[in-house]
Amino acid sequence: MNAITPNVPTLPAPVGLLAELTHRCPLRCPYCSNPLELDRRSGELDTATWQRVLTEAAGLGVLHVHLSGGEPTARNDIVEITQTCAKLGLYSNLITSGVGGALAKLDALYDVGLDHVQLSVQGVDAANAEKIGGLKNAQPQKFAFAERVTHLGLPLTLNSVIHRGNIHEVEGFIDLAVKLGAKRLEVAHTQYYGWAYVNRAALMPNKAEVDRSIRIVEAARERLKGQLVIDLVVPDYYAKYPKACAGGWGRKLMNVTPQGKVLPCHAAETIPNLEFWYVSDHSLGDIWAHSPAFTAYRGTDWMQEPCRSCDRREKDWGGCRCQALALAGDAAATDPACSLSPLHAKVRDLAVEEAAETPPDYVYRTIGSNVQPNVRTPLNEEAPL
Amino acid sequence: MTAPFPTPKTDEAQRLLSPEELEAALRDIGARRYHNLHPFHRLLHDGKLNKDQVRAWALNRYYYQAMIPVKDAAVLARMTDASLRRVWRQRIVDHDGDAPGDGGIERWLKLAEGVGFARDYVESTQGILSATRFSVDAYVHFVKERSLLEAIASSLTEMFSPTIISERVAGMLKNYDFITKDTLAYFDKRLTQAPRDADFAIAYVKEHATTPALQRQAMDALTFKCNVLWTQLDALYFAYVAPGMIPPDAWTPGAGLVPERAISQAAGTGTVTAHDVPRLPRGVRLRHDAVRDQYVLLAPERTFDLDANAVAVLELVDGQRSVRDIATLLGEKFTADPAVIEADILVMLNDLATKRVLER
Repeated sequence: MNAITPNVPTLPAPVGLLAELTHRCPLRCPYCSNPLELDRRSGELDTATWQRVLTEAAGLGVLHVHLSGGEPTARNDIVEITQTCAKLGLYSNLITSGVGGALAKLDALYDVGLDHVQLSVQGVDAANAEKIGGLKNAQPQKFAFAERVTHLGLPLTLNSVIHRGNIHEVEGFIDLAVKLGAKRLEVAHTQYYGWAYVNRAALMPNKAEVDRSIRIVEAARERLKGQLVIDLVVPDYYAKYPKACAGGWGRKLMNVTPQGKVLPCHAAETIPNLEFWYVSDHSLGDIWAHSPAFTAYRGTDWMQEPCRSCDRREKDWGGCRCQALALAGDAAATDPACSLSPLHAKVRDLAVEEAAETPPDYVYRTIGSNVQPNVRTPLNEEAPL
Repeated sequence: MTAPFPTPKTDEAQRLLSPEELEAALRDIGARRYHNLHPFHRLLHDGKLNKDQVRAWALNRYYYQAMIPVKDAAVLARMTDASLRRVWRQRIVDHDGDAPGDGGIERWLKLAEGVGFARDYVESTQGILSATRFSVDAYVHFVKERSLLEAIASSLTEMFSPTIISERVAGMLKNYDFITKDTLAYFDKRLTQAPRDADFAIAYVKEHATTPALQRQAMDALTFKCNVLWTQLDALYFAYVAPGMIPPDAWTPGAGLVPERAISQAAGTGTVTAHDVPRLPRGVRLRHDAVRDQYVLLAPERTFDLDANAVAVLELVDGQRSVRDIATLLGEKFTADPAVIEADILVMLNDLATKRVLER
C-alpha cells in the first residue's frame, strides 16, 4: 500500500456497478445524466470485455449491476450481458426508456434471468412526456413495455425525473405507477449535473411547487402502503443537507462508461485534472483500490471546513463533488446544497430566481454536439460573475 | 345421451358386496357422475369461459363452501361416539379456521376477491342462483334426515376431488391471465385435506354398510351428492353459458365488483397472517455474499443485510410453507415456543411485505 491510500486495508468492497453500456438512446431528455460529450458507438467496449468486467465485479463483491446507458437495449448483446450477470449471481437491473427495441428484447431478457426493470417516464400526459423526451410516440411504447414487464412477473419500478415541466403531474405519476402495476416509483427531482445543468433554468421548479410535490408523495406513501413503495429524491438546491453522492465517493459504487473509463460517479468527468483509469488497462479491483480518481475524495482526509469538523461528515460525505465544483468552483469545497455552506443562500436565491423566469427552450441531448452550459457561473466570491 | 340411473338387477342388488367390491362400486359412481364430467367444468378448466363466467362460478360456489361447516356440524351432532367426533370436527376447523382470516371459506373469499368481487357482496350470497341455494340446502337437509351412514357416504365425493383439483389448478393458471397461484390457494390445501377425509369416510362406510340394503343406501347417498354438485353446474350453464337465461335477482356481470385498483392490491399485498404462505417474488433473491461472508436479500434497487435469524426464516420461505409451518419448524430447530417465534417472524415478514419484497 502506498501513502495516498492509507485506508486500503479496510477498504469496503463496492456493492453496485453502474454499467453504462452505451450512450446511444432514442430519447433526448434535457436532464440526461450522461456527459455533454457522449461516447460514440465505435468506441464502445465489446461483449467479451463487459463479461470480463462483470466477472471482476462479482469477485470484488459487487451485488447489484445496473445495466444502463443511454438505452442499454440499443446494444445487440444486451441479452448475453444480462445472462452473464445471472450466471455470476449478480442482481441485474435494466434501466431503460422502454422505447425502440426494448420490448422486442424483453422476453429474452426475462428468460436469461433479468431481475428487475426500471422504466423511465418523462410525463403522464403523452404530449408533455414526448415533448420532454424529444421523441414522438414514445408514451404508448412505454406503456406496452410496462404491461409486458408485469405480465412476465418481473418487478417494475417507474422512474420519474421531476422538474418544472412535469411537477404538476406528480399525482399523475403515482396513479400511473399503480395502474401499470409497478411496485416502486421514484419521484426524483432533477439533479443539476450534465445536461440538467445546461438546462437548469428550463427545469428549476419553484419552492412552492417542490413543497407541494413532497406533500403529495408523503400522503400517497401512507395511502398506498404495502402496494407501492415511493422513493423521493428532493431537489438539492432547496435542501437543508446535501446527498451523499453515490453513497460516498468511492465507497459503494463504480461507474463504467461505454468506453470503459471507470468513474466514482457518473458526473465525475466534469472535475478537471482527475485521472481516470480504464478497464482495458487495469482490473476493476485495482481501479477501485488505487485509481487516483477513486482515492481523490474517498474518506474524509480531503475535506475542508465546514465539512472537516462536521458531525455529519460520515453521513453525507460532504455532498456532491461535481456540484461543489460547478457551484463553488472547487471540487473539495462543501457542496453548496448544504445549509452549512457559505454559498448556500446564493444557491437557493439562484434557484428561486431561475424558477421565477420564463423557462428557456430545452437544449436536447445529442451526440456530437458542442454544447456549452449557459448557467455555469460558479458562485464563489472570487469567481468572475 | 344421459345414462339412465343405474338400477342393478334384483338379485345383484340383494347380494352382499365385499368391502372391496363396495368401494369399487362407489368409485364407479364417481367415474360416471362426478361433476368433473360436466360441460361447465370442461369449459372452466380448458380456459373456454370468459371472466364473467368464471366469476359466476366463484360466486355461486361460495354458498356451497360456506354451508359445508353447517353440514358437517349437523353430521357431528348425530355422532354419539367421541372418537368419531374428534375426527369429523377437523373438517369444520379446515373450513372455518382457528381464527379470522384463516380456513377454507376465507381462502374461497380470496379466490372470489381475486377475480374481482367485493367480499361483502360474496358473503351476502344475494347474487347466487336459486338452484344453487336449493341444491346446497338439500344437502344439509339430507345429512340431518338420513342415517349417519348415509350422511358419511354422501361426503365420499372427496375421493374424486384431488383429480379435479389438479386439473382445475393447472388449467386455470394456464388459461386465464387473471387467475394467479395466490387466487387458487384454496385448492392447495384441499389437495391434502380431501384424501385424508375421504380415507376416513370410506373406511367407515366399508365397516358399517354390512347388509345389501345398507350398501344400497350408501351408494344412493353418494349418487345424491353427485347430483347436488351436478345440478349446481347445470344451473350455472343455463344462466351464464347457454341459453344465458339469468333468473331475476341473480348476479349479472358487473355487479358486486370492486374498482380495478383495489384488485391489484388484493393480489399478494396487505397484512401477512399466520396461515398465509409467503414467497419471495421474482426479483428478490436470498444470496450468500462470499466476499463479505454474510447473507443478503437482493431486491430492486436495494440490499438487505440479514442476521442469522432472518436467514433461518427466509431459507424456509418457499411458497409452500405457511408462516405457522415455518414457526413450527424453527421451534423444533431452536427448541423454542413456536407461538413466540410466529409473532416475531410475522413482524419481520410484514415489514418485508410492506417494502414489496415479499408476497403471499
